[in-house]
Amino acid sequence: MKKYNYTFLLLVIFAFLGSSCVEDLPTKYEFTGYQFSNLDANAGQWKLVLHTSNEQIPLSTPAASGSPELLKELADAKEMQSKATSAQREAVAYWTNNPLVRWNEIALELATKYNLIPAPNPDGSYPVPDPANPSNYPKFPYSHPPYTSRMLAHLSVAQYDGLIMAWHYKYKFKRQAPYQLDPQIKSAYQTNGLFSYPSDGAVIAKASQDVLTAMFPLEKEFLAQKAQEHLESLVVAGINVSSDVEAGKLIGAAVAKTALTRASTDGMKNAQTTRAKSDSIKNAAKDRFGWVWENQETPQRMVGLVPLFGKVRLWNVPNVESVRPGPPPAPGSPAFEESAKALKQYAANLTTNQRRIANFWNDGLSTYTPPGHWNRFAKEEVVANKLNPVRTARVFAYLNMAIADAGIACWDAKYYYHYPRPIQTIPGFKTILGTPNFPAYTSGHAAFSGAAAEVMAHFFPSNASQFRTWAEEAAMSRIYGGIHYQFDADAGLDQGRKSAAYSVAKAKQDGVD
Amino acid sequence: MKVNQLFLGLLVASLGFVRLSIAQTPLDGLMMPKGEICLAIVYENTTWDRYWEGSTIRVNQNIGTFTRQMGMPMLVGGITDKINVILTLPYVKTEASAGQLTGVQGIQDLGLSVKALFLEKSIGKGKLTGFSNLSFSTPASNYLSDYMPFSLGFGANELGIRAIGKYELDKGPYLRASYSYLHRGVTEAERDFYYAGQDAYYTSKMDVPNAFLGQVTLGSWMFKKKLRVEASLTTIKSTSGDDIRVYSMPQPTNKVDFDRVEGFAQYYFNSNGRGFGLIASYQKAISGRNMGQFSGYGLGITYQFKAF
Repeated sequence: MKKYNYTFLLLVIFAFLGSSCVEDLPTKYEFTGYQFSNLDANAGQWKLVLHTSNEQIPLSTPAASGSPELLKELADAKEMQSKATSAQREAVAYWTNNPLVRWNEIALELATKYNLIPAPNPDGSYPVPDPANPSNYPKFPYSHPPYTSRMLAHLSVAQYDGLIMAWHYKYKFKRQAPYQLDPQIKSAYQTNGLFSYPSDGAVIAKASQDVLTAMFPLEKEFLAQKAQEHLESLVVAGINVSSDVEAGKLIGAAVAKTALTRASTDGMKNAQTTRAKSDSIKNAAKDRFGWVWENQETPQRMVGLVPLFGKVRLWNVPNVESVRPGPPPAPGSPAFEESAKALKQYAANLTTNQRRIANFWNDGLSTYTPPGHWNRFAKEEVVANKLNPVRTARVFAYLNMAIADAGIACWDAKYYYHYPRPIQTIPGFKTILGTPNFPAYTSGHAAFSGAAAEVMAHFFPSNASQFRTWAEEAAMSRIYGGIHYQFDADAGLDQGRKSAAYSVAKAKQDGVD
Repeated sequence: MKVNQLFLGLLVASLGFVRLSIAQTPLDGLMMPKGEICLAIVYENTTWDRYWEGSTIRVNQNIGTFTRQMGMPMLVGGITDKINVILTLPYVKTEASAGQLTGVQGIQDLGLSVKALFLEKSIGKGKLTGFSNLSFSTPASNYLSDYMPFSLGFGANELGIRAIGKYELDKGPYLRASYSYLHRGVTEAERDFYYAGQDAYYTSKMDVPNAFLGQVTLGSWMFKKKLRVEASLTTIKSTSGDDIRVYSMPQPTNKVDFDRVEGFAQYYFNSNGRGFGLIASYQKAISGRNMGQFSGYGLGITYQFKAF
C-alpha cells in the first residue's frame, strides 16, 4: 500500500509540473493585421530622403477596371485564394497588412545571428571578416552595433522612399483593391479602401530583400524565400493582383539600389583599419591628451572595433565636430577619481534592480545591439498606435538615421579621445558585463539611446517621458555593469540627443504634420 | 543492511558539475531505517581550464582556470524502513583566474528527494534490491542563471524520477545501475531577447533542456563494513538545447552532455553506523558538450543518530 501512495504522489507532482512547464516561447512579435488609424492620402507628397521626385521610378498606367487584363488577374487571384494551402494562409497571417514590421524583425534577427566577435587564431592574432569571402571564418558581416545601425538606416530609408512613391501612384491611379473589384475575393485583413497599385507590400518585400541581401550576403537564399512567401501572400490575402505586385517590386528594387549605392560609398569599407592606421590614431590621441585606450583581452586585440566608423557619411548631422563633446577628465584627476570610486561602490553593493538594468540593456554579442533594441520599441509603438505602412516607414527611417548619426558621432569621439575603460584604469577591477573592444568616451549605449528616445518622443509625444527614462536607464546600465564612467554616459546621452535633433528638425519639415 | 547512512557517500560522489543541482542524484542503493537521521557537510572543489563549445574543445585565456566551490549541508532521514527523505541546500562560489568578469557566490537550489525501496530479494550468494526515487529542486535565492559559466545553477525547477537496481554479494562487492529522467522548467533571464538555436526569442524565459542520466557503479565493502569504496561512470544527455555560439558565452538553453568517471570512499568510525563518518571523492569529465572539462574532489563529514 505504500507503493500505492507513492504512485499517487508522483502523479500529483507531475500534474503540477506539467501545468507550469509546457509553454511556447515567442519567436516573433505577436500581432495580427489591424485597421490603420488613417490612410495618409497625401503621403505621396511627403519629403523623400534619397530621391528627388516621387515619379523618379516610372510606372506605367495600370490596366483599367473591367479590362480583360485586369479581369484575368482577378480570376487568377480568386483561384489562388480559393486554392490557398494552409502554409499560404499562415503566411498571410504572419506578414499582416503592415509587413514592414516583419522585415524589420528579420533584419534584427540577422543582426543577432551575425553579431559574433572573431576568436583568436592559434598564433594570438585575430582574423577579420572579408566581404569578398563572406563564408570564410569569421563570417561576414560581424554585425556589431555600428554595422547594425548602418544596416537599419539604409533598410529603413529605402522602405520609406519606396512607400512615399507607392502612395503617390496609388492616389494617382486610384486602382481599387481586388476585394472591391470582385465581391468573391475576400480581404484577409480589415478592409480600408487603400488603392492597390502599386502594392505597398511588394515595395517593402523587394526593397527589404535587396538591402538585406547586400548587408547579409550569406542569407541570400533565406531572404529570397522570405520575399517569395511575402509576395505570394499579397495576392492570397485578396489585397493585390499580380500587376500591383510587379509594380511594387519595380519600385522596391529601384529604391534598394539607390540606398545600396549610397552604402557602397559611405566609408564603411574603410572603418576597420589596419594595425598601422590604428596605431597612428592611438598615437595622435596620446600626443593630444596623454592617455590611451588599450584592449585588455588575452591575447590582446591590437585594433579596436571600426576605428574609422566616425568618418562614415552622416545622414542628417552636418559633421561630427558639431556634436563632439569636450574632453573627459584626465585619469587621476579629482573628477575621474570620483567616477572611479562610484564604479567600485556599485560593484561592491550592486542592487538586484541595478543588476537587472545592466543585463536588460546589455545588448551585447549575439543580440540585436542597442539600435536593434530601440527598433523593437518602435515596432511595438507602431502597432499600438495602428500606424499605416508609410507612417510606419517614416518612424523607422528617422529613428534609424538618427541612431546611425549618433553612432558615427560617438565613434568619432571614441577614437578622437581614445579614453581607457575602467578595467584598464582601476587596478583589479572586475565587472558583470564584458568590456567591448573600443574606447570608453562617449558611451555608445548612451548615444544610441539618447538619439533614439528623442525621435520616438517626437513621433509618439504621449510616451515621450517613458522613452527618455529608458534612454537614461540604458546609459546608467553601463555604469552598473562596470564598463563605463558616469561622464561617458552623460556625454553620450547629450551627444545622442544633439545628433537626433538634426533628424527631428528634418522630420518636422517633411510635410506630414 | 545495517549501516544505512552510507548511502550519503554515493550521493555526494555523484554530485554533478555546475548544471546539476545536488538533490538530483540520490542514486545509491541504500536505505536508512525508521527514525535515523544523518547530518552532513560536504565540500566540493572542481576546476577546468578548457571547455567544450558545442563538441569542440576551446581554451579561453580570458577565463584561465575556472573554479567552482560548493559547501552543502544535507539532512537524510528514515521516515520508515522503506522510505527516506533527503534535504540539501548548497552554497556555491565561482571564479575565474583570468579575464575581467567577476565571480559570484550564494545559495543555490533547495533540494528535496524521496526514495523508496520496492524490491528486496536474496538470489544466490547475494541480494538484489530495487529503489525508485522522486526529487524536486528549486532555486533558493535570486541568483542569475543567465550569467554562465559563473552562474550558481540553471535557475529552474527540476523534477527527477529514477530507477535504481543493485546486486550485492554477501562478501561485500556490489554492482549498481541507475537511470534517471530530469525534467526542467524555464528559467528567468534579466533580458527579454536572446538567440538560441536558429531562432531569436522575445521573452525573458529560457527553456532549460531536460536530461537523461545513467550511472553504473562497482563498489565493495571492506574492513567489516567500516569502509566502502566505489568507482562509477556517469553519463548525462540533454534531450534538446543549442550549442554555445563561436567564442560566445554559454547560456541556460544549451544542450549539456557529459561523461564522468569518479572514485569514492567512505569511512565510518563505528561499525554500527552511528556517530561520525568521513567521505572523500574524485571526479573527472572524460567527454562533454557545452561545458567545462572539469575535474575535482569532494570531502565531507557525516554524523548519524537515532532521532525517534
